[in-house]
Amino acid sequence: MKGWTLKILTILTIFLSPLFLSTHTYATKPIILGCPLSTAFVYGWDAERGIRLAVEEINAKGGVNVAGTKRPFKVEVIDTRDLEPGVPVSEALLAVEKLILEKKADFIMGGPVRSEAALAAMDILSKYKKVSIVTTGVLTPKYHARVLKNYKRYKYCFRITGEAKWMVTGEIIPCLLEIGKKYNLNRLFIMIQDVAHARAGGKIIAKIMKKKGWNVLGEPEIYPTGSTDFSMGLLKAKKLGAQVILIWMDMPETSILLKQWYDMKIPALPFGSIISAAEQPGFWKATEGKGEYCLANVVNAGNAPCNATDWTMRFYNAYKKRWGIEPEAYGTSSSYMAPYVLKAAIERAGSLDSDAVIKALEQTDIMGVYGRIRFDPKSHQVIPATDPKQGAVGSIFQWQAGKRVVVFPKSIAMGEILLPPWMK
Amino acid sequence: MEIVIYGIINSITLSLIAIGFTLVYGISRLPNFAHGAIYVVSGFMVWIFLNMLHLPYLLCILLSLIASGIIGGIIYQLALIRVRGMPISEIIASYAIGLAILEGLRWAGFKGLTYTLPSFLEGSVIILGVPVDFQRIFLVIIGVSIVLFLYLFTHKTKLGLALRGMAQDERAAMMLGIDSDLMAVISMALGSMLAGLAAIVLLPLGNIIVEAGYQILIQAIAVCIVGGLGSWVGAVLASFIIGFAQILTVAYIESHFQMVVALLAIILTLIFRPSGLFGMQKELEERV
Repeated sequence: MKGWTLKILTILTIFLSPLFLSTHTYATKPIILGCPLSTAFVYGWDAERGIRLAVEEINAKGGVNVAGTKRPFKVEVIDTRDLEPGVPVSEALLAVEKLILEKKADFIMGGPVRSEAALAAMDILSKYKKVSIVTTGVLTPKYHARVLKNYKRYKYCFRITGEAKWMVTGEIIPCLLEIGKKYNLNRLFIMIQDVAHARAGGKIIAKIMKKKGWNVLGEPEIYPTGSTDFSMGLLKAKKLGAQVILIWMDMPETSILLKQWYDMKIPALPFGSIISAAEQPGFWKATEGKGEYCLANVVNAGNAPCNATDWTMRFYNAYKKRWGIEPEAYGTSSSYMAPYVLKAAIERAGSLDSDAVIKALEQTDIMGVYGRIRFDPKSHQVIPATDPKQGAVGSIFQWQAGKRVVVFPKSIAMGEILLPPWMK
Repeated sequence: MEIVIYGIINSITLSLIAIGFTLVYGISRLPNFAHGAIYVVSGFMVWIFLNMLHLPYLLCILLSLIASGIIGGIIYQLALIRVRGMPISEIIASYAIGLAILEGLRWAGFKGLTYTLPSFLEGSVIILGVPVDFQRIFLVIIGVSIVLFLYLFTHKTKLGLALRGMAQDERAAMMLGIDSDLMAVISMALGSMLAGLAAIVLLPLGNIIVEAGYQILIQAIAVCIVGGLGSWVGAVLASFIIGFAQILTVAYIESHFQMVVALLAIILTLIFRPSGLFGMQKELEERV
């Protein structure tokens, strides 16, 4: 009988020991990050990879210290599809609500990606009092303007990535002026996509460049999402004697535009304020090198190789190691930084309470992948700068011999801007 | 001159996109709403044969065309045959199949910009002062050849005449010993091969993306409604009307209205000539 008791105890010990050993893991409830992202598009999947990488790193180091208890992050992603033609805003809103109600998300992170959808989601975040950090897409200045105008209602909304107003005035215009000065160019043709941020951006650039003495040729050419032929616009640019073609489009079909630009040998430098196709490392192969000399804005440093801060290349290499590819688009480094910023805020707040975390996020001041990261306490927009020591720094690169070479701002540039041979 | 040249290119592009759809409807009265999905699948098949199996480009194209035809035939045999003669069910079934194919591709990871096909010939040429790349010249040649081929096929071959017989009067054709289901399978296979051919010619201009499947379907439907459902001559004419209207819109109005052109053409056709330009049979029914 004694022998049997011993045997049963031994068997029970063997089978139940994993449960006791893992008690620590199961006892700490994870902090759920609900990520509404358009995962079929680069701005969606790259943001997801950025968030997951940061979460893996944070969890590997023990997780988030919430008032003395270490809790891991858990990522829940729902495809919003909001980058698809037709901009299905309702689907994106359903995704946000599903994350909150079904997935029990503690925080919302990432998107919705399209400005229209993100603006509409602000009321849902307010209704459920969920703190959200937008990390990709959503370039419209209206987002943080709404927080500024109605802080009480929209205080839950933060944006850790760049926005159109700063991009235009702080990065694109100075970069265009630099190109103009260097190569004596001043004739600008604008081609944009029919979406809110692009229309607004194109209009502002046209207005400012006119004031700066540039000759803006005609009205911006607006293309519907999903357009596959840009020949007439390019021929118009050539006919009008354009020297720089400013492109603001976040659809993958922009690779067609650049192929056509090359095949037609349009004597104008393509400048992508936002040009999703050219941002990606696979662009060179996809266009068989036809996109060489195209400039692309990747909004935050770290999305193309440079040495903005000590963390920039560390992130870049970690991403490459984890996903087998370089960061592909503009929402990557900002999506990677968001879990770190949130972790620090939760630890400062000592709880997951929305109001406490909001206050803590407003006090954020860390040196991140793309410079010093702080939020404007009234609008919750990340504070931008051209010097990484001062704020979140942007990044414009040019495709040169198969590589993405950062050319602007000067503080992080890795090379000079070049013109295609048929322009010389 | 660029309006004429790119108008022709745009029109023939639309013809290539729509001709497979209209052929299937014309012969078997089947609205193949999986047309766009077959277009995308064909593109991905060429890509897989080329980049993963490393086969010669021409062989990849031939294999993809054959596979597209087989897919079309399978879709009919497995699904559409069961709902034949019930128009709403045909639309729902074929659209569901198309949706399953496209979303399946997306689920399988076929997303992003890395899926591209090489041009048949690199470079461009200046035609009357307008630069045109060789791929677009191929597009025009192939588009015109297809129209000529279809004319000869349906007028000079036994199979083609049987298909026309089916298109004109299914019951009379059956009385003459023509197998209705066999003809429907052949028409689906042929229509799918034409969708595949359109993909092979058009996709080297850009990249293969799943979302294109939906747009191709909309364009094909627009052309077919304006041209008259089932009339491939009407489809060609409608392609030229919509194609030139789009180019003129871009040149003289605003480029973002070019998508509206196709939809406006559908609305105007449905108001003023519901049977389309060459939809004779429907027109007769309407009169009765």
